[in-house]
Amino acid sequence: MRLSDASVVIRPRTAWEAMDLGVLMAREYRLLLMSSWALVSLPVFALLTALLWDHPSIALFVFWWLKPAFDRLPLYILSKALFGETPSIKQAVRHWPRLLKSQLLLSLTWRRLSLSRSFVLPVSQLEGLGGQARQQRLGVLLQRNAGAARWLTIIGVHLEIGLWFGCMAMFYLFIPDQVESDWDWQRLALAAGSDWLWLEHLTHAFYALILVFWEPIYIACGFSLYLNRRTVLEAWDLELVFRRLRQRLSSVAPLLLLVVGLMLIHASPQVMADDSNARTQLSTQAASQSVKTVLEQPPFKNPETVTRYRFGDEKPAAKNKAHGDGKLPAWLQSLLDSLNSNTFKHVGQGLEILLWSLVIGLLALLVWRYRDWLRAFVGRRPQRSPKIVKPAPAQLFGLELGIETLPEDIASTAEQLWPTQPREALGLLYRGLLSRLLHDYHLPLKSADTEGQVLERVHQLQQPHLLAFSDELTRHWQNLAYGHLLPPVSAQQKLCSDWRALFRSGAAQ
Amino acid sequence: MPSAPLDTRYQIETPEGIDLPLRPAGLPPRALAFAFDLGVRGLIMGILLVPLALLGNIGIGLGSLLLFLLSWWYMVLFEVLNQGCSPGKQVMGLRVVQDDGTPVGWSASLIRNLLRFVDMLPFGYFIGAISCLQHPHFKRLGDLAAGTLVIYREQPLARPQIPQASALRLPFALDLGEQRAILGFAERQGELSSERVHELASILATPLQVSPARAVEQLNGVARGLLGPT
Repeated sequence: MRLSDASVVIRPRTAWEAMDLGVLMAREYRLLLMSSWALVSLPVFALLTALLWDHPSIALFVFWWLKPAFDRLPLYILSKALFGETPSIKQAVRHWPRLLKSQLLLSLTWRRLSLSRSFVLPVSQLEGLGGQARQQRLGVLLQRNAGAARWLTIIGVHLEIGLWFGCMAMFYLFIPDQVESDWDWQRLALAAGSDWLWLEHLTHAFYALILVFWEPIYIACGFSLYLNRRTVLEAWDLELVFRRLRQRLSSVAPLLLLVVGLMLIHASPQVMADDSNARTQLSTQAASQSVKTVLEQPPFKNPETVTRYRFGDEKPAAKNKAHGDGKLPAWLQSLLDSLNSNTFKHVGQGLEILLWSLVIGLLALLVWRYRDWLRAFVGRRPQRSPKIVKPAPAQLFGLELGIETLPEDIASTAEQLWPTQPREALGLLYRGLLSRLLHDYHLPLKSADTEGQVLERVHQLQQPHLLAFSDELTRHWQNLAYGHLLPPVSAQQKLCSDWRALFRSGAAQ
Repeated sequence: MPSAPLDTRYQIETPEGIDLPLRPAGLPPRALAFAFDLGVRGLIMGILLVPLALLGNIGIGLGSLLLFLLSWWYMVLFEVLNQGCSPGKQVMGLRVVQDDGTPVGWSASLIRNLLRFVDMLPFGYFIGAISCLQHPHFKRLGDLAAGTLVIYREQPLARPQIPQASALRLPFALDLGEQRAILGFAERQGELSSERVHELASILATPLQVSPARAVEQLNGVARGLLGPT
């Protein structure tokens, strides 16, 4: 064993860190460890399954009980790999029967259930100790880290179970739907008939697979705990550095030899003591003073004043407590009563109201915060902007609608125009109507409206006289404008008189 | 043989050129810390649910709120507000930090604890355990996603006792590792058997130009010299 060849950094670690190193070691040689473990353990599992086909639980139990026999292989591989002589799979598996020779019976009987199994395995396998010598050695080794080794086994047990169930759950999740409909999992769990033996063996096979993954890690953790214990106990790390130092110095030794001798003579204790005394006398006061001032300054000390509210006197409370101790049952009784009383129910309701109002308030805040967004993307109504009043259109169908463009008395002007220019007369009446609708009735007419749409809007005003007049006028206007059909003379008279009746009275009102 | 020897340390170099060795924590202590936290949460639920059960519907409501807080926020609140330590981690001497060694923040802690439910799939931390055992720095999926690391907290050091000896100075230079080893030799003498102490010291007897019997004393003197006046 040459420590300088070690493939891990040797230094004293805490027990947990030592286990972590074991995990890393197992990770480094994972392929080798897992495949060799699988090569050794899976055939045994298959054999047991075949032999004990009718008793799956016994087969699993025997397999589980045989674990220490397989454990020796990963330990052998790791101990070789630690000093750089990693064996191949073939070598390792071939070497396995030789590993089983020593103390196999012991480790399969009363040492089987030892919680620090992985930690003490190296003592018997690597150191080859047995009997009294082993007991003495364990007495020294187990003084520390024994608790950690036990925890390792306990965690390992739970992890094995967890991984095993996880594996089964994974298997169940991967069953296709068509098959699964026949396989109710409750039926699977309760299945005891011989039809389901193969399924039970299958779940046990998952355990064997989980062991392929976990057991080498467990052994590696135990081995690294053992290594760490010996590192602490025998100061391996110091030995390593000392040997390196000697090597370094021996290469320059001939040159240094004389110097070393001379210096060691000079550096006698007396000289050293005097030297240091002289220096300390020179500056003790000043130095300690300056050290103190430096220590008072920011990087070392950051004074900070914190002002905050606290509950007032704590003494009265303590007094009350002491006072109340005698009456505790009554006090407790009243508390219990108040728990059941109406007042507490009110408190509960108040609390509920508070919580609900908090929720509602938060929702309202949220809506308020995103109101624009909601209006833009969620609201069904078209966007209204009440403040922007559209200016009334000055023209409809090319007709001027401003009040100032119309004569004072539209009806009489129209009457005058009828004989000579009937088109202008009717146009004047229609313009007058639109202008009145726009300015007196405040109909929201747009320049894009058609005559029909204007009529519809008049309809909404719900004034039958106005509607009848508008209807008739619009009809005559359309006939004239688009069909060049002059209205009959009677209609001309009627329109003018209707106009007067409608708007005179309206104006008079 | 791997090129670099295996170690459990995680080195970070700060912009100022300072090496910060962190020690990532593996599955066993983390499993114990989680079990402890689980127990604490179960205890809190048990204690608080009894009086809440007396309160009828409002009690059930408050109980549900409590369950929500405990299962989703217990770890996050403790990790962010208690320097990366939940009570279980505190007990086991663990701590959560970011990958660069800075304290864990809200987002990182939330991510790593929300993804706990992925790690739990399909049963009992199956994925989390495998990821933790396979990753070189023992990260589960939540840690990978959040960029966090569970490390061992630095414990306060007790002042080591060094055996009395007159201070010596060596005529040749020692590098840092060698100085530490000699100091460590002096500090750990109490834990080693006297035979082993002599064996170790006699390795250096020749370069120190003393007889192996006096090597221990000589090395203690060198350690005193390295330590300086105290």
